[in-house]
Amino acid sequence: MSPRYRHPSARKGTTIVTAPPSGAAGRSRRRSISRTTAVSLSVVGALVAGSVLAGCSQQRDPDVYTVLNSSTDESFHRWDAKTLATCSEQLGIQIEQQSVPAAQLKTKALRMASSKSLPDVLQLDASEVPQFAEAGGLTPLREAGVSDENVSRSTIDFGSYKGEWYGAARSVNTLALFYNKDILDQAGIEVPTTWDEMREAAKALTEGKRYGIALSAGGAEDGVFQFTPFMWSNGGDETDLGSKNVAEALDYWKSLLSDGSLSKSTVNWTQADVNDQFMAGNAAMMINGPWQLETLNTDKDLHYGIATIPVPKAGEDSVAPMGGAVLTVANTGESEREKTAAKIINCMTSEKEELTYAINSGMVPANENAAKAWRAKFPELSAIADQVETARSRTAKVGDRWPTISLALQSAFQQALTGKAGSEAALDAAQRRATSGE
Amino acid sequence: MATSSMLPAGKSRKQRRSWGSLAAGIVILLIMMFPLYWMLNTALQPKAGLVEVGWVPTHFDFSGFTKAFSDQGTNLLTSLLVAAGAVVICLVIAAPCAYGLAQFRLPGAKSIVFGTLITQMVPGIVVANALYSAYVSMGLVNSYFGLMLADASLGIPFAIILMRAFMVSIPREVIEAAEVDGAGRIRTFVQVVLPMSRNSLITAGLFAFLFAWSDFMFALTLNTTDAVKPVTLGIYQYIGAHVGDWGSVMAASVLSAIPAAILLVLAQKYIAAGITGGSVK
Amino acid sequence: MSTTTSPAASVPTARTSVSATQPAARRTRGNKLAQWGFIAPAVAFMALFFGYPLVRNVVMSFQSYTPKTFFTGEAPFNGLDNWRTVFGDDLFGSALGHTLIFTVGSLAGQFGIGLALAVFFRRRFPLNGVLRSLILLPWLVPMVVSGVVWRRILDQDTGVLNSFLGLFGVGDATPWISSPSLALFSVIMVNIWIGIPFNMVILYGGLQEIPKELYEAAALDGASAWRTFRSITLPMLRPVITVVLVLGFMSTVKILDLILALTDGGPADSTQTLGTLTYQNSFVQLDFGAGAVVGNVLILISAVFAVFYLRANRSEGK
Repeated sequence: MSPRYRHPSARKGTTIVTAPPSGAAGRSRRRSISRTTAVSLSVVGALVAGSVLAGCSQQRDPDVYTVLNSSTDESFHRWDAKTLATCSEQLGIQIEQQSVPAAQLKTKALRMASSKSLPDVLQLDASEVPQFAEAGGLTPLREAGVSDENVSRSTIDFGSYKGEWYGAARSVNTLALFYNKDILDQAGIEVPTTWDEMREAAKALTEGKRYGIALSAGGAEDGVFQFTPFMWSNGGDETDLGSKNVAEALDYWKSLLSDGSLSKSTVNWTQADVNDQFMAGNAAMMINGPWQLETLNTDKDLHYGIATIPVPKAGEDSVAPMGGAVLTVANTGESEREKTAAKIINCMTSEKEELTYAINSGMVPANENAAKAWRAKFPELSAIADQVETARSRTAKVGDRWPTISLALQSAFQQALTGKAGSEAALDAAQRRATSGE
Repeated sequence: MATSSMLPAGKSRKQRRSWGSLAAGIVILLIMMFPLYWMLNTALQPKAGLVEVGWVPTHFDFSGFTKAFSDQGTNLLTSLLVAAGAVVICLVIAAPCAYGLAQFRLPGAKSIVFGTLITQMVPGIVVANALYSAYVSMGLVNSYFGLMLADASLGIPFAIILMRAFMVSIPREVIEAAEVDGAGRIRTFVQVVLPMSRNSLITAGLFAFLFAWSDFMFALTLNTTDAVKPVTLGIYQYIGAHVGDWGSVMAASVLSAIPAAILLVLAQKYIAAGITGGSVK
Repeated sequence: MSTTTSPAASVPTARTSVSATQPAARRTRGNKLAQWGFIAPAVAFMALFFGYPLVRNVVMSFQSYTPKTFFTGEAPFNGLDNWRTVFGDDLFGSALGHTLIFTVGSLAGQFGIGLALAVFFRRRFPLNGVLRSLILLPWLVPMVVSGVVWRRILDQDTGVLNSFLGLFGVGDATPWISSPSLALFSVIMVNIWIGIPFNMVILYGGLQEIPKELYEAAALDGASAWRTFRSITLPMLRPVITVVLVLGFMSTVKILDLILALTDGGPADSTQTLGTLTYQNSFVQLDFGAGAVVGNVLILISAVFAVFYLRANRSEGK
């Protein structure tokens, strides 16, 4: 096809053949290399010839549009397939869904970018948008023709980078306090609304093998995601990890540990592990997100309630992180394809499709009208809808530096929680580490 | 130790010892297998999640298995096919090279061994990244052959090093004798050297199989559709961005281990029979 | 050494043939070409699959290689910037230390237990072959799965290991992977579990190669089991031992997936190794240049090790 397609990969192809067999072995074999090369060339030639017969060349099929996401699990994949089938019919085009494990999505997309085989619609976790936008990998949505009608300001910000809108959310999620109604009722304990109340409640609910609360302080994004509501509600900020407010939030987590109301295993847990503990009755309360609803509801005997995450002092705002995936238009350099990609996104984010998706996945629709319908349908989830309204994006302030800050922060709170360092010392070090690359 | 079989001990004592060894062997196996047992145990109690599993499954629930079987059947076949292809490619390429490095006095042979060792250090993801671009231009993405080739690369350096170590001990005289008898280099290799190295060939092949079977990186990197989907990728059907259906994951893992386990048992028979071991028996 | 111990069966034929090799000189040139023919395919294959990525990795460590590069193809050279960043990071030193402890600990455990099992399985007893092959099963479990299973087994409160130890009144809620001082040890333990089958099978194969006659002779001389092991088994097994250790070293030092699945490098970076560091640099922060630096350090370490291997080989050749 066009030379743009061939160019980078073709150049690499030649490098392969002429590169010395291996760095160290090259020199000593210089003399006999011509013969070796002759044989190698014929081997490579045979391989290539074989491959041409085996498969057709990898170029974008003009009639097929692709959506790359991380919906590997059966249910999410099926829901997306259904939506895409509707959109495919509506737009009269063929749409293909590719799903790769979430942890590999970023790398996979970059690799596809280098060989100019990017998908048309790329679903990213919102926190990954800045890295891709900064690299020039995304086309601004308005430019491509994605509609922002009925999308709230905060949702637009959620998918924006440096004032440009790159990612359209279908639904957003956040964290909330889940509690086991039966256990709380039995103990006669009210749902906590402040840090002190939560600490007291957790202490009182700890009994035998059961802990009062479970949360994820794991050494990955899960742990940082869970720390942010405590940090932010206390006035802490990711731009200044060394501040007193962040240290206080960390000290609060530490107090739960030292009370014995939080398992020491918290530093190993992912959010899915936390959910397992809660479902098994090993924790009376947990911090988690609405994506667990599907799993939680499989256990008919489990009666749980959802509340906003407690705040440091009564009357303060509970600031939780906004999470979720956004749909982006990959910068393929073909404006016609990008326009079609925008149409696919418009279809996927239409009120009806969003509502279906949100109902299935338990998350809050991004579209304001759909969100109203969702609220009416699930009054018991209103705490989540409330929490979303004030939720904050992790990348709004620091953009593509978020991953570095996140790594520094998780190391810091794990050091403090495991007693390797004091909260303030660990956070000071984290602040230095987070800003060293600037 | 091995001396036991040589001592002219009474038959009954020998037998008693062998039963004792069997018991010890079973204990060792049980310890080594415990995590796998735990996996099976979890698979049989999908409802319990992973936290509250009892020591033994009290009620058997095969729903995880039936689900995994219907979902992963084709993926298992793909895994088998790809791994088998990778073994063939690996041995065809590595065996002659190992022989050459072990027996020919070639200048630079040492550097090749060195280079081979170094290849073991190149991080898999670096290889995968570089390969992807090359594969796209060669049209090998989404093809069985392409994945076989890539998976073979996991075993080749290993097979070369391993077989070379064994082939070094083949006496030069044996090879020279065959050549004096008029056999060409290739015939000598095929008719004399390979049979003598059967032991190491099968060992190398076995590990090449295991490497290819457990590959996740290449399967993920070199495929953009579901056309070639081994079970290591298929398992992600139960692991999403947010949730994990661990009962099904465990069931699928247990299932995927069965065909390979059968192969292992079959191959093991040959591994035991080395050159010398075979002649003594 | 090797000449005296070569299999007895083949020696007689060999003796007679020594004098009959004179026409060889004439064929030398053609010979050499044919000889290279044996090696060339593998060399070409490795050049393609490893040489090229390796060279690329080295070059990358001197480049500013960011996500942008994937789109534009431009990766400006930045001299030693990446190297300075990596070596300036406090984590690098501790990751290097963890890597060495992890590697030495894993190798010692895998090799020791693997050798013991290989020797054990030389005994003749019923079902020997079946048991021996079943031990390889852990290899067939995808790392993402065995990682999860182990994480649950090692869990401080609900893990089956602690409840098992509890039966004997010991190990009161041992924080296997939740304490920074124990986590590295636990990860080593799991890695030993993974590595035993590999060591056992290769070493067992090596043991089978040792001529039984040697043991018979030793038995006639009345040598003790330990003496037989030291003066026959170990020296005869040396080439295989070297192979096992070298290959074990190469795969252990760069370990990544196990640690990611078990601890994610935590808690508090206590299981952070060079492998996880290069992963974090390249695939979390997307600073591929810095990731390549760590990768190169790994390659350098193993190059040193490879030199030792070749040295060991040379002394054997005599």
